[in-house]
Amino acid sequence: MVTLKDVLHSGLLQKPSGDEPKVLQRSESNYTPLQTFNLGKDLQYQQQFADIYFLRLTKIKPSLEEVANSAWEGTVIGDETAKKVERVLDVRQGELCWVVATVYMDMPAKPNILEDVSKDRWISAPSTVQKYYSEDGLDSVMLEDESGRIRLVGNVLKKYFLVTGCIIAAMGTENANGEFDIIDLKFANLPPQPERWELSKSSQKGTKSGRKETKIKDEDVEMIDSAPSTQGKKIAIVSGLEFSGSDSSYAMELNLLLEFLLGDILDPAAQSETAQISRLVIAGNSITSEIKAVEEPTEKKLHKKYGYDSTAYNAQPSKLFDDFLSELLPTIPITLLPGLLDPANASYPQQPIHPAMFPKSRAYTSIPGAAEPGWLDTVTNPWEGEVEGWRVLGTSGQNLDDIFKYVDSDDRLGMMEAMCRWRCSAPTAPDTLWAYPFQDDEPFVMKECPHLYFVGCQPEFGTTVISGPDGQMVRLVLVPSFSATREVVLVDMETLDVSTVKFTA
Amino acid sequence: MDAGAAYMKFLAQGVLLDSKVVTFREVSRALHVHNNTAKQMLYDFHKSENEKRPGAVYVTYVVFGTKKKPTEHRNGADDDVEMTSSMPDSSPGDVIAQAFSLDLIPEELLEDALEDYEEVRSIHVYSAAAHSAKDMALLADTAQEAHGSRNGEDNLSGDRDYVITNPSVRRRERKGAATNVAATPAGTKVTRKEIKSAFSKPAPAPSKLKEEVKASQPAPEAEKASSSAPAKKPTPSLKRGGSANSGIMQAFSKAATMAKKEKPTSQPATPSGDDSSVQPMSDDGEDDSEMPQPKARAGTGRKSRKEREEELRRMMEEEDEDEEEEKAPSPEPEEEPPASPPAKEEPAEIMTTTSDGRRRGKRKIMRKKQIMDDQGYLVTIQEPGWESFSEDEPALPPKKTTSSAPPAPAAKGKKSGPKGNQGSIMSFFSKK
Repeated sequence: MVTLKDVLHSGLLQKPSGDEPKVLQRSESNYTPLQTFNLGKDLQYQQQFADIYFLRLTKIKPSLEEVANSAWEGTVIGDETAKKVERVLDVRQGELCWVVATVYMDMPAKPNILEDVSKDRWISAPSTVQKYYSEDGLDSVMLEDESGRIRLVGNVLKKYFLVTGCIIAAMGTENANGEFDIIDLKFANLPPQPERWELSKSSQKGTKSGRKETKIKDEDVEMIDSAPSTQGKKIAIVSGLEFSGSDSSYAMELNLLLEFLLGDILDPAAQSETAQISRLVIAGNSITSEIKAVEEPTEKKLHKKYGYDSTAYNAQPSKLFDDFLSELLPTIPITLLPGLLDPANASYPQQPIHPAMFPKSRAYTSIPGAAEPGWLDTVTNPWEGEVEGWRVLGTSGQNLDDIFKYVDSDDRLGMMEAMCRWRCSAPTAPDTLWAYPFQDDEPFVMKECPHLYFVGCQPEFGTTVISGPDGQMVRLVLVPSFSATREVVLVDMETLDVSTVKFTA
Repeated sequence: MDAGAAYMKFLAQGVLLDSKVVTFREVSRALHVHNNTAKQMLYDFHKSENEKRPGAVYVTYVVFGTKKKPTEHRNGADDDVEMTSSMPDSSPGDVIAQAFSLDLIPEELLEDALEDYEEVRSIHVYSAAAHSAKDMALLADTAQEAHGSRNGEDNLSGDRDYVITNPSVRRRERKGAATNVAATPAGTKVTRKEIKSAFSKPAPAPSKLKEEVKASQPAPEAEKASSSAPAKKPTPSLKRGGSANSGIMQAFSKAATMAKKEKPTSQPATPSGDDSSVQPMSDDGEDDSEMPQPKARAGTGRKSRKEREEELRRMMEEEDEDEEEEKAPSPEPEEEPPASPPAKEEPAEIMTTTSDGRRRGKRKIMRKKQIMDDQGYLVTIQEPGWESFSEDEPALPPKKTTSSAPPAPAAKGKKSGPKGNQGSIMSFFSKK
């Protein structure tokens, strides 16, 4: 509890003192983005989606078999020893066995492409269903690989989050109904975690010989001397700014956010803390799509060119957002992920928003083809990179929102954790989450465990730390939509501690 | 204390005389002082003014700190019983994030608001105004305008003082980047202000200025209309009036249907008669760029969504109209008459006598006539009429009838049809 007396005549609540205020310098951002989710230029959309599942399974299978092997090796139930079978079709009735395959959720409420095709619905609109999960127990869990599909039953299924596309190892027996009655199931668990500064170190190695020596000297210890200091450094993550041409109800909060990040408001002590925020990450939904829900029937003929009502376009949101960015960019570098509402492709992975959207801010973007990341770095969603030495994985939330529809739970952090344990950042792609039909690589598989995993555009803030069997530690952060909660998330880049700042006006 | 006097004067001018909302950023920009000094100036001004006369100045505070009951952020691992039990590796999430609050609080609520705080890290005055800051949207508008870019200034040129500088900032050098950046804000600046001036309700002081603007605005338009291209101006305005089908335009639509034929000339005529009535729809874009920009702007509200949409629609329609005009001149047959008369004019001249080098005769002309319609508006209509003339040089136009008559240039001897009305290109292709 603070009273007025406590704060009066202190700090800035006094006459101008005439002291020369010192100029603050923002901490440098050590930043190496990765191109994991960049699609390249010559895209083909002719191929089928099945390869994604195949690639995902082959990538995750070896490590998952290891996990399952160590867990179930020599398991004897009754007088039968569990043995591994290679394919789903090899599961025999009455034999205790385990198999690694992909989960498929059969849900009546889930959009189904085959149904769309059979009913001649060729214009597919994004599904507006809140949940695919249905209460009446009509949903069933299947396990499939390229050989076939088998229905899973067993109480153990209720213990886990399962969605289409995640890879599991399941142990059990096939019952008389031809269902696989499972006793236990395993996930691949967290992938190996790179050590801190791994990327920057490897890039330094070749160029700076002086650094090399120190590195060899204490190869295994924390490389404090060669690593840049990150004491007190922070990054700010915000999502769902949703600049709008019509809704200005939180314009003042947006303005406070801007002034906070600029360091304009607050007193010198707080400003010097703000100066430690070395980077701003915008995790999607920066612009609202102004969809006119109700067309007024009384309106006379609208002037349309090629069926497009040109008056429906409003440049205001992107202009406001551009203003916001250009105001911030002189003092802070920005990483910009596209989101559901942003002007980028709809399918995962979303490709960077084109700089042409930002006539003022684009001077800060990188020249196409340049090796150095832009000061305003428009990146993919999901995005992976190294910030202050930590491996960071971030998305704008579609992957989590889609998983959310599969399960009967509100525990979004648990779903985030599950994604890490599945080693897949977007398991429901391409089933219900639109995705590019990958042929050669499946980028959603987590090859390396991030230190920080954030998901943007969430209804509320949340954070936790999970740990893996090999000492991996992952900080999970649910970044709330600014338009909903007026919150920005600050992550301390030394400790990975998280704090929030809520703006009220 | 001459420096002190300077800011006191500035603030007194801004807050008390112009009844603006003045934020610390505005002070900082105007007086070239550091942001933090500006905050202290606002505080000092507030204090000294309210000592003189309590309630003279209201301020808003920014309070940054932690609230007493920190918003207990839901910790996923706590209510995630299933997952934790299933995942033995997961650590019990005992991590509760520190939640800071940054609040903007009007001074009358400050005391109550502070009670909710456990710790105040920072507090300062954000803005000062002559009235209580009830409407945060108003403040948001003012605050936004204190930002360089929203004023249409090139904030990329680095003339602005940042509290936190970043030495490693990189920009790409592009050809023409400077012009692009400069051009875009300049264009938007005009439209922004122009909307503001039409939206004069909240500010009594600047509205006086705007009255002048209103008065001066029709003048160039009228000049332009009467001197250079008499037929050009009315034609597009007719279309705009006729096709606009919603919003403000609805008020005019009745008149438009009633007197479509009269409409063309009514546009230049109405502003002089009753300028307030035409003000809401005055922004024809090109005209408004000529109007003097009111410097005083604070206190004017945020431009409403409706207005913005209206503006957009009008812009779009104008564009569409231009195209439509090319491909289909027929939808409104009424627009033809002003286009055709000049073409028929030549044969309509009847010579009676040609003696001693003088020509006498009658010719058909369009006469302008001002009448008051049933709604009390003055409208100018064009009527065909006969006029007798007598002249020594064959093509000299008469200066006889109406003083304000613009048809004179159109009645010149040579065929001036296509030039006089640029309304429709179709007349060029028509069979002759």
